[in-house]
Amino acid sequence: MARFHPFHAAAVLAVLGVAVFPLYWMFVTSLTPSDQLFADRPQLLPSLAQLPTYIEAWSGTSLRHWLFNSIIVAVGTTALSIVLAILPAYALSRMDFRGKLLFGFALFLTQMLPEAMLVVPLYDIFTKLSLLNTLLGLILANAAFTVPVVTWILKGAIDAVPYEIEEAARIDGCSRIGIVLAVVVPLIAPTLAAAAVIAFFHGWNEYVFAQTFISDDQWRTASVGLASFIGELSTPVHTVMAVGFIYTVPAVVFYLFVQRYVVAGMTSGGVKG
Amino acid sequence: MNMRKLLSGSFATAVAGTMLFAATGASAQSGKTVVTFAASHFAEVGRGDRLKAWVEKFNAANPDIEVKPVTIPFSSFASTIFTQLGGKGGPDLIRFDLPEFYAAAASNSVLPWDGVINDADYKFTSADKYLKINGKRYGVAFDTANYAMIYNAALLPDGKPPKTFDEFLTAAKAATKDGNYGFAYRATMAERGGAWYDVTNFVYGFGGRWSKPDGTPTFNSPEVVAGIAAYKQVYDAGITPKGTDAATYRRMFWEGKIATVVDNGGVATILTSQGKAHPISAAHSPFPHREQGMILAPITINANTKVKDAAAKFLRWMLEPKNQQELQTLLGAVNVATIVERTPEELKAMPWLKAYDEQTPYSVPALPQGLEVKSPEIQQIVVQQLLKVLQGGVAPQVAMDEAQRLVQTRVLGQ
Repeated sequence: MARFHPFHAAAVLAVLGVAVFPLYWMFVTSLTPSDQLFADRPQLLPSLAQLPTYIEAWSGTSLRHWLFNSIIVAVGTTALSIVLAILPAYALSRMDFRGKLLFGFALFLTQMLPEAMLVVPLYDIFTKLSLLNTLLGLILANAAFTVPVVTWILKGAIDAVPYEIEEAARIDGCSRIGIVLAVVVPLIAPTLAAAAVIAFFHGWNEYVFAQTFISDDQWRTASVGLASFIGELSTPVHTVMAVGFIYTVPAVVFYLFVQRYVVAGMTSGGVKG
Repeated sequence: MNMRKLLSGSFATAVAGTMLFAATGASAQSGKTVVTFAASHFAEVGRGDRLKAWVEKFNAANPDIEVKPVTIPFSSFASTIFTQLGGKGGPDLIRFDLPEFYAAAASNSVLPWDGVINDADYKFTSADKYLKINGKRYGVAFDTANYAMIYNAALLPDGKPPKTFDEFLTAAKAATKDGNYGFAYRATMAERGGAWYDVTNFVYGFGGRWSKPDGTPTFNSPEVVAGIAAYKQVYDAGITPKGTDAATYRRMFWEGKIATVVDNGGVATILTSQGKAHPISAAHSPFPHREQGMILAPITINANTKVKDAAAKFLRWMLEPKNQQELQTLLGAVNVATIVERTPEELKAMPWLKAYDEQTPYSVPALPQGLEVKSPEIQQIVVQQLLKVLQGGVAPQVAMDEAQRLVQTRVLGQ
């Protein structure tokens, strides 16, 4: 068991502080009385009397609707990315075929193009396919960016699965697809969780596509909804901070939910043999 | 939880979600022609809701057409619209800011108004002349806003507004204490567009213009350099909350923490509509010349629209005197496309409105005349040089000589 060391504890607290302080500051600002917002000495503790700000943000805006849309987009992006990435990841790991290297490299190439560069042609395509103003369109656009990353992450995990296990399954009469779904996927589950986190956060935070492809308020996601409070001439600071704080909650909950798998996924494959 | 079950659940959710939303297409109202209308106003607290209610009046009177407001955050309005235009889509009606209007017209992204309205039927404001390019109309003003100085009387000596630049500096220095500031403006590249408007007010106020009417750049003229030097003088005086963005310092002004700002009528309206924490007052800007910049935002028809006739019907409705009156009232201290007199109720509710209205004859678009289409590149160059003056210690004359050279070589290819 590792010995407690004050320096380590201080380092952990410092890192924790850097990570958590912005969230705390957002929370405190959302609950700071208006006349104290720009005071010389900033308020370090929240004024709980200002809690109705959260009720107003929750019920007086479309926040619930935006969050629901964001959850659909993030979960859809995550699931679609994983579904679409498993087979190519398996193929890259286990099969030999002409153009394999090129295929793997091409997946990386897609990551070299920024969203802003692709948004115009995608908009044109989505117009023709009637995918504008649909969450499905956003899920597809986001998945296009996450599938290559997820594919490479899963390939690395599949590389670490002993081939002998697959051979045993084949001897037992399992088909190739059966091996992937029944044998390989359960073995790389922690890595799948890590990949899911990446895909989920991409879908959750994505802004450019959500802003460009959605013009109907009904389908707006939270990332764009949050930005809409920041006006040309004024910004309701309390509301922005309260909505921003609430916006972080589902993402944090999702991460806490899959955290232990993520850690296992990050460390899996680190040791061979 | 069993990982296998978790994965199965995720996949099932994805499939179900995908199927559910695959069936959800773009809005298709039964039997109605839908006209989408984008304006950054729609995202504003207060004014946005009132504007939507105004649009609803058209919808109520025209059961065959639905004008649908499109809310796009101001910060990404231009980039989003131009992306959509590039993708052969976008809202049918677009309220642009002036630089984007000229860029859209130059790239044929907006339609000329042939047959949409008969000019002779309307008494347009003087700003209307800026909306015709090569004799063709590409829009009418949705709103125009003048610039004036708004002030918190309680923070100023004797509660009176300064009338000259020297008086202004003295008053602003006196007001800068106890966490309060005498003045606020933009001086960061992050707010390039806003900084451009702010510095334009100084330049115009010191008698300068960015160019001659024929498009000859005059960035290093003595008057322009005097305006830049005055901007620097304010920066060095320590009377501004340096680095604070406009949304924040406007809020600070409302909280009574800033004595004066030179801002447009839309800001004054919003500050007033947010309540009377500190009642605002307005006076003309404290510069040697009365000329100031002007926000001119035209409404245009997207060249990609498939519902031009319905869009034109809305525009004609918009220009009817009663609807212009309502639009001007709900937008506050702005002018609309046609000349609309203020009502006594408006003047009573917003006594500072008089200062803004008196500014109308002295309001000039903030773009370099004859070089409007090149505005974004020019703004970039000028604000870069301005920041070198403010933060890099470069002399105003040297910086503006460089701006002149860069505009001539990089932008105009001379």
